[in-house]
Amino acid sequence: MKKFSITFVFLLLLGKQTIAAEAGMPQLDPEYWASQAFWLILIFASIYLLIDKIFIPKIKSNIDMREDKIRKDLEEAKNFKEEAEKKLKNYQDLIQVAKNDAKKIISESRIKLNEDIQTKKDEIQKKIDQETKDADNEIKKFKSDSLKKVGSISEEMVSEVIKDIFGEELNKSSIKAAVSETLKEKNKNI
Amino acid sequence: MANPMHQFKVHKIGPEIEISGINLSFTNSSLFMVISAVLIITLLLLGTREKKMIPGKLQLISEMLYNFISKMISDTAGKKAKPYFPFIFSLFVFILFCNMVGMLPYSFTVTSHIIVTLTFAMFIFIGVTVLGFIIHGFKYLKIFVPSGVPLVLLPIISIIEIISYLSRPVSLSVRLFANMMAGHTMLKVFGGFVVSLGLIGGWLPLSFSVALTGLEILVAFLQAYVFAILTCIYLNDALNLHH
Repeated sequence: MKKFSITFVFLLLLGKQTIAAEAGMPQLDPEYWASQAFWLILIFASIYLLIDKIFIPKIKSNIDMREDKIRKDLEEAKNFKEEAEKKLKNYQDLIQVAKNDAKKIISESRIKLNEDIQTKKDEIQKKIDQETKDADNEIKKFKSDSLKKVGSISEEMVSEVIKDIFGEELNKSSIKAAVSETLKEKNKNI
Repeated sequence: MANPMHQFKVHKIGPEIEISGINLSFTNSSLFMVISAVLIITLLLLGTREKKMIPGKLQLISEMLYNFISKMISDTAGKKAKPYFPFIFSLFVFILFCNMVGMLPYSFTVTSHIIVTLTFAMFIFIGVTVLGFIIHGFKYLKIFVPSGVPLVLLPIISIIEIISYLSRPVSLSVRLFANMMAGHTMLKVFGGFVVSLGLIGGWLPLSFSVALTGLEILVAFLQAYVFAILTCIYLNDALNLHH
């Protein structure tokens, strides 16, 4: 494309040259070559000096400053992150310790409670046993007492009945023997 | 139709300056060099006036330029080319601004003159060659003897290498000069067509002109970039001697 356009222009120029005598490439006219080279060197050298001495150091220092700042900020952020992670770990450790403590306390108190319950149970059982025993004894006593009373009442009643029926008194000891015999038989049946 | 080459005419402005028989008058070419230089300095001055953590527009432009050229140099010529950064920076910016100022109507394109581009190219060529001999001494001639070439072919290859080395300033200068000249001539020719074809037929060349203007702005940037990157490559050859 470029080559084509260049040849196109040259052909155009060639055609022009045949028509207009003074046409041509002003670039090839050496009249101002020295002047162009001279001014180019002068102006380019001054630009070069300005850029080298003033502008590039300025731009560079600014870019460096920004990079420094970014690096510092990144480092700071990293530090903060590490600190936060440390704190989180501390917190988690604390929680773990607390959990363990709680577990220990719970298990301990459970054991203690069980022991307490056991001792209380034992005490109560003992008491119950005692009471039962006492009650049994009392019942036995009542029983024997009542039997004795029933015996003497029966004797009296029997002697009264006999006196009423037969009009005479019977030997007390024989009545007693008969009553106690009957009672014994009755008790056996009971 | 106006002569499309007329825009490249150099004429003196002000008095004639002559030093020991050489004509060094201030010309329109010099004027546009000065305008480009003033624009560069203004941009950089405004761009570096404030040192803000978050850059403004102009500061951003100057920093982008700095980073762009810095990356270009480190990519092509490595760390050793760091001392030549200001030169490459100035070179790129100056050529870029001369090309861009040339895109303004009625302006003069400094880089469309072979003498200007040849001055740059010769300076770079001689500078790089001298640098190569200073750094590597006599061994710099190894650049003409590529390694891994059969002994029979070596004389031919060396001759080719020498020719290609010597043609560097020519290719470097002609590339920029021809691109700028061709582009501006085409713009002028199509502009002339617009006028001569009038209201009825002028629209087609006008649209061409608009498209070409966009293309030429791209070329103006691209050629400045190519010039700078080729300088970096030549510099790399002198600094690192790869052959």
